[in-house]
Amino acid sequence: MTLLRTDGLTKQFGGLVAVDDVSFQVDRGETRAVIGPNGAGKSTLINCITGALEPTAGSVEFDENDITNLSPHETVQTGISKSFQTASIFPGMTVRENVEIAALAAEHGSFEFNFLKRLSGFSAVHETADQMMSAVGLLGDDDTEAGSLPYGDKRRLEIAIALASEPELLLMDEPTAGMSPDETADTVDLVERLQEELGLTILIVEHDMEIIFRIADRILVLNRGQVIADGTPEEVQESERVQEAYLGGVEL
Amino acid sequence: MTDREVATDGGAVAESGEPASASGGSALSRLRERDDFVVVASAAALIVFPFLLVDVLGIVGDVIGLSIGGYTGLPSLVLIYGIIVIGFNLLLGYTGLLSFGHAAFFGSAAYSAALFSQVVPSPLLMVVVGTLVATLLAWPIGFVSIRRSGVYFAVLTLTFGQALYFYALGPGSWLTNGDNGFSNIEADGLFLGALPFDAPLTPLPFLDSYTVMYGFAAVSMLVAVWVGNRIINSPYGLIFEALGENEERVEFVGLNVFRYKLMAFVISAVFAGVGGALFVIHEQYIHPTTGLYWIQSGDFVIMTVLGGTGGLVGPVFGAFVFEYVANVVSGVSLPAIGSIGSLWRFVLGAVFVTIVWVFPRGIYGAGEDLVAMLTDRSGGEGGGDTAAADGGERE
Ligand SMILES: Nc1ncnc2c1ncn2[C@@H]1O[C@H](COP(=O)(O)OP(=O)(O)OP(=O)(O)O)[C@@H](O)[C@H]1O
Ligand SMILES: [Mg+2]
Repeated sequence: MTLLRTDGLTKQFGGLVAVDDVSFQVDRGETRAVIGPNGAGKSTLINCITGALEPTAGSVEFDENDITNLSPHETVQTGISKSFQTASIFPGMTVRENVEIAALAAEHGSFEFNFLKRLSGFSAVHETADQMMSAVGLLGDDDTEAGSLPYGDKRRLEIAIALASEPELLLMDEPTAGMSPDETADTVDLVERLQEELGLTILIVEHDMEIIFRIADRILVLNRGQVIADGTPEEVQESERVQEAYLGGVEL
Repeated sequence: MTDREVATDGGAVAESGEPASASGGSALSRLRERDDFVVVASAAALIVFPFLLVDVLGIVGDVIGLSIGGYTGLPSLVLIYGIIVIGFNLLLGYTGLLSFGHAAFFGSAAYSAALFSQVVPSPLLMVVVGTLVATLLAWPIGFVSIRRSGVYFAVLTLTFGQALYFYALGPGSWLTNGDNGFSNIEADGLFLGALPFDAPLTPLPFLDSYTVMYGFAAVSMLVAVWVGNRIINSPYGLIFEALGENEERVEFVGLNVFRYKLMAFVISAVFAGVGGALFVIHEQYIHPTTGLYWIQSGDFVIMTVLGGTGGLVGPVFGAFVFEYVANVVSGVSLPAIGSIGSLWRFVLGAVFVTIVWVFPRGIYGAGEDLVAMLTDRSGGEGGGDTAAADGGERE
């Protein structure tokens, strides 16, 4: 069953067509990968889905609702959250507070007049936060200031924040960028585990082909904004256009 | 003002004495979350404050031959500014929005309270009306200004503030009495003047700074502290702080950034409005320069940063130091230099630079560091620094 569908999605920056007429689907429960050389338009595609960028043309549908023109916070409220390519956290706040703020948004929506209500009374928020911190293995660090975490932990916190929004679809833009091989392995395990435990649908942008072929159910390949292949890892691997695009680049 | 009243603000949420997660925060920060504790501690401070400022410092001054004691009206004035900067800090310290136009809310509240006193000479209603006007004004000004961030936001608020100033000085003179100032304020006591503001609260002749006005300001301050404490321990407290740290991320966890920033702006204007109305009741006079000029807006910023933006009441210490320098130090006559007089801004500048240099987190931050140091030494475990850095206000 299709959870996310883009139709003719296009984003132009002046003369540059960063995303060019991209139509693809993400099925419920699958791990969908987007790959492509540098500058292929992967991040731009993600940004058009989240509402961070306004598409020049085309539409985005989530769970059979048109979400093309929603702002980012509205998109999150419909059930799509994103973990950032560079960890985007609240460095001066504790790990718990970082996660709680996302849990709070999932619990009470994008805005409430509750400024005289105690946060400590929102037990569902604290439970979600506990659950997500333990999912990424940060529960012991909940009182640590987020800014003082080691890099790998910051990235895991980033994922915990994205998860605490209780998404159906998790967008991950290069979750292992800048990680050591050990941290990368941990993160990949984490993604696989989350997928199972939380029944998530994942759309992941990743450069590391080994990871992609290990976790992806289907792969979308972009080059210069255009779809050049879309299918199972085996199908994509055999595609001539893909091999051409990557010639001299990453080995498949 | 007890925990019991909590049920009225939402109902569904079950209140327990213990925060839902026992894992976070020190015993001290958990205490600070308790409204009753915060209010009682503040009340104790408010009871001794005039005695220390006026009586004790007065005696010390007599001994050393310098007039360093506060005058009778000073404690009230400090509290009035204190209320304003508590609200201002929710905007500046927590949400990270620097407004240079809060005189607009202070002054509009002061003028509308003054005007309203012509109709009904009730100080309580003056505060209500003044605050209402400031709040109503904050929506459109905030709505426009918050669309921009950083310097543009600051300049937009400044522009709105200055527009009001020039309006009050010129075209609005029929309302404000322009450059002559507005002086026939018709409320000089509680209960239709039965309890004059300068009447003493105690029969003790030496405690003459404990006036009805001081009591009025002190109760207002307690309400402000209570409300402020509720706000920083509510979802808004967490969201405001998060906005100050990483606005983009707040949007991407699904929160409406614009609306929350607008709420921070309006809430801070409410506090400024209460302060503006109290100010005009206290001074019995308002002029465009004291009420609406941009320097007034700047002074709120100075007080807040001086006091420290890390906690709820930090800025009150800044308001105290500011007003002390402006009103007491300015009257001190030094042996070699002579009267400080209008040089007080230089003294304030020196104090500001020194404090911000030595204690970047202001007077309150310095106090917190001191407490953390002392408790660390007496066997407490580390981590004092982290607890201090986030103000330790939440659990
Ligand atoms: N805000 C922008 N304004 C102008 N051009 C942009 C903008 N964002 C991206 N681009 C351009 O659009 C193209 C696609 O960029 P994008 O970041 O989507 O690529 P990517 O596939 O994510 O690359 P990488 O693998 O390096 O992350 C690039 O040529 C980039 O320079
Ligand atoms: Mg990218």
